[in-house]
Amino acid sequence: MTFTLVALFIVVVAFTAIAIGAFGWAAKTGQFHGLEAGARSIFDTDEPIGRPTDHFPERGRKSKASV
Amino acid sequence: MTSPSSSSSPKGPKAALADALDRAAIDASCRLPVLLFFGSAIAWLLVGSVFALLAAIKLTTPEFLADHAWLTFGRVRPAHLNAVAYGWSSTAAIGVAIWLMARLCRVPLRHARILVAAAVLWNLGVAIGVTAILAGASNAIEWLEFPTYAAFILFVSYAFIAVWAVLMFRERRPGHVYVSQWYIFGAFFWFPWLYSVVNSMLVFWPVQGSVQAIINWWFGHNVLGLWFTPIALASTYYMIPKILGKPIHSYYLSILGFWSLALFYSWNGGHHLLGGPIPAWLQSASIVASVMMLIPVITTAINFHMTMRGSFALLRTSPALRFTVFGAMCYTVVSAQGSSMALRSLNKLTHFTHYTIGHAHLGMYAFFTMTMFGAMYYITPRLVRWEWPSAFLIKAHFWLASTGILLMVVSLTLGGLIQGIELENPKVPFLTIVAHTIPWLHARSWSGALLTTGHLAFALSFVLILLRTGKQREGPTLFTKERSFP
Repeated sequence: MTFTLVALFIVVVAFTAIAIGAFGWAAKTGQFHGLEAGARSIFDTDEPIGRPTDHFPERGRKSKASV
Repeated sequence: MTSPSSSSSPKGPKAALADALDRAAIDASCRLPVLLFFGSAIAWLLVGSVFALLAAIKLTTPEFLADHAWLTFGRVRPAHLNAVAYGWSSTAAIGVAIWLMARLCRVPLRHARILVAAAVLWNLGVAIGVTAILAGASNAIEWLEFPTYAAFILFVSYAFIAVWAVLMFRERRPGHVYVSQWYIFGAFFWFPWLYSVVNSMLVFWPVQGSVQAIINWWFGHNVLGLWFTPIALASTYYMIPKILGKPIHSYYLSILGFWSLALFYSWNGGHHLLGGPIPAWLQSASIVASVMMLIPVITTAINFHMTMRGSFALLRTSPALRFTVFGAMCYTVVSAQGSSMALRSLNKLTHFTHYTIGHAHLGMYAFFTMTMFGAMYYITPRLVRWEWPSAFLIKAHFWLASTGILLMVVSLTLGGLIQGIELENPKVPFLTIVAHTIPWLHARSWSGALLTTGHLAFALSFVLILLRTGKQREGPTLFTKERSFP
């Protein structure tokens, strides 16, 4: 029982430390700044904002032509 | 944007081609491990569906296959839970997370061998675990029925995946860490914590008495909230903006949603034990945390709705979007329902009734599984470089899955409420209450048949796309229309 408690205590401290560390790292590296740029980070020049990227197979050619 | 050539001509066709090739290289690098996880996930989905049907039929026809020890309700039901939770859901989630990691790190996937080994071990662990449950070697702890040797294999496999995720993150291209990556890292970080703590405290050195129940539900609920939910949200936060070609409405809200989920969710488990022999403060704390979950849920709901606003017409054209948005809407519904069920007054009525089973399926199927289907519809063609061969099969899958799950949730919710109200009334004999649930259980079996048919359509689609059957079409997003291959 004592062993379990000690092991758990170590786990709790380690995981809490990692979580706080992750939050600190995020703040330090500017992850909470320039949030709108963050939202745009999944787009590129080939798949830019404004172009949908998925469709039903049978409509492939039609939507391709209309883009 | 990320390649050197694009900085000189940000909008030019050359930059677009470079970006398209970068993306194609990333997708190609994910092919083997992700398809391995997807394929085995779908196989487990079919296995889990068969166990689900067996268990559902046994509730209305108890003598059905009851003379085979391996197929008795007490074994088939946990076999269903574990086959769909660890075989289908976790495997699909890992596959989706791997692909998202590579896309969001903006580098081709490395160390694929670690992932292939992890996939083989994971499937081995699930296969051994499910067989052991059927053979009667279950731990008899809900959500943790796999015996120690199977759990150990899963844990080793999981360690491989976690190590890979850290290696991959270190090798990413510089730039912003998108919100989906936060969710994936959260999930990858929480699951080993949950799984190791619960195994050490319930299996290796078991604690005694009602503390067992507390630990059991701390784990059972957190598997949903800190493992499946973050990966489904990671997928939604990528898929909706990416498919619409529209950044997320408020990135600020998405970050707030992540950190508030991290803060509140792990307190929720105690609401499974309301009225039970555990400290009252623990129950109250978990009720408060359950209601506080409205913060991350509302932020997410606002964000998805506002991003979708004006683009709902695309639900007609994009299979991935249709499944994902269905899942996202059900996330709001199931979470609001979950918060209300944690209140003592409603819990008194719904606890130990089919209402809870309806809620569980609304979460794990209507939200989580539909989101995974959506992600797989988006990802697979980009890995195989082949478009889905049949729109009919996708439509059949969607309508069977959505009507099936709605039928299940509605019948179990109504049946459960009637059951709960009658259980509160001492004048109604217990067997009358049981008899009153039977029509609703029949409806549940039928809903299971619809879902299973949908799964067969999906599995067939998946086999056909792997075999590259049908006409060759251009992948919708692999390359731009103005592409010209070197």
